[in-house]
Amino acid sequence: MVPEESAAPDGHLVDATLAGDEQAFAELARRHKGRVFGIASRFARNAAELEDICQEVFVQAYFKLRQFRRDSPFEHWLMRIATFKCYDYLRKRRRDGAGVSIDAMLESGHEPTAPERPAPHPDLERLYAALAQLSPKERLVITLLELEERSLQEIAGLTGWSVANVKVRAFRARAALRKLMEKKS
Amino acid sequence: MNEPNSDSELDALFAQARSRRPDPSAAEYAFETRLMARLRNSAAPESIWARASWRMLPFFATCVVVLAVWHAQVASETQEAEQVVYAETPDMVELWSHLN
Repeated sequence: MVPEESAAPDGHLVDATLAGDEQAFAELARRHKGRVFGIASRFARNAAELEDICQEVFVQAYFKLRQFRRDSPFEHWLMRIATFKCYDYLRKRRRDGAGVSIDAMLESGHEPTAPERPAPHPDLERLYAALAQLSPKERLVITLLELEERSLQEIAGLTGWSVANVKVRAFRARAALRKLMEKKS
Repeated sequence: MNEPNSDSELDALFAQARSRRPDPSAAEYAFETRLMARLRNSAAPESIWARASWRMLPFFATCVVVLAVWHAQVASETQEAEQVVYAETPDMVELWSHLN
C-alpha cells in the first residue's frame, strides 16, 4: 500500500503500481483525471463517449506503464496518450459518419448540442458543426491551438509532429474552417 | 446570424467557445472506481508476439500452401525419375551375359 498517497509524487505512485499496488494507480487516476476529462470533453460528443475516451486513456497508461520513461513528468506522458486517443476517436468517427453535412449535424444535434455542453449561441453551433467537418488532424490541431490555447511547441510535443508541421497544419485547418463557415453564409 | 467572414470573427467565435468550456465534473464523479473495476475485469492485453503472429496468419497459410504444392511437384518428379532409373529391363540375365 502507498502511505500518504495524496502527498506521494507521481514517480512513487508509478513505482508502486508497477509493484502491483492497484490503489497507487487509482490515486494517479484521481490526480490526473481532471486534465484528461478536460481535453477529451473538447472532442467527445456525449457523456458516454467522454467516459469511453478517458477510460481508454487510463487503461492504456496502466498497461503501458513500463514504457513510461522518467525523462518527462507523468502528466505529459498521460496527456500524450489522451491526445492520441482523442485523435483515434476522431478518425473512428470520420470513418463511421463521413459525408454528413453541417446542416444534417445541426438538425440531428450531432456535435454542437451534446447534453454536457452549455446551450450554445447559433454561431457557436455553426463553429462546432464546421469543426466536425474538418479532417481529424485539422480538428485536433485547431482544437488544441484555439480552444485549449496550447502553444505550437506543446502541440508538437503532444502529437509528435514537428513545430513547422503543426504550424502548417494549423494554418490549413484555419483556412478550411473559414471556408466551411463561409460556404454556409 | 452573423457569419464569420474574417479572421477576427473566427477569433471571436473561438474566444466564445473557450469561455463556454464543457463541464465534465459530473462525468468525473467516481471515475477511478469505475476504472479500477474495469482494469480488474480486463485481462492483460495480448503480447506483441501474439498479436504479430495473428497478423502473420495469412502469410503462414500461404507458406503452407506453397510448400504443399512444391512438395507434391517434387514428389511426382522423383517418382518419374525413379521409374526411369529403376525401369525394368526385358531380361537382365541375357543383358549381363551379352556384356560379358
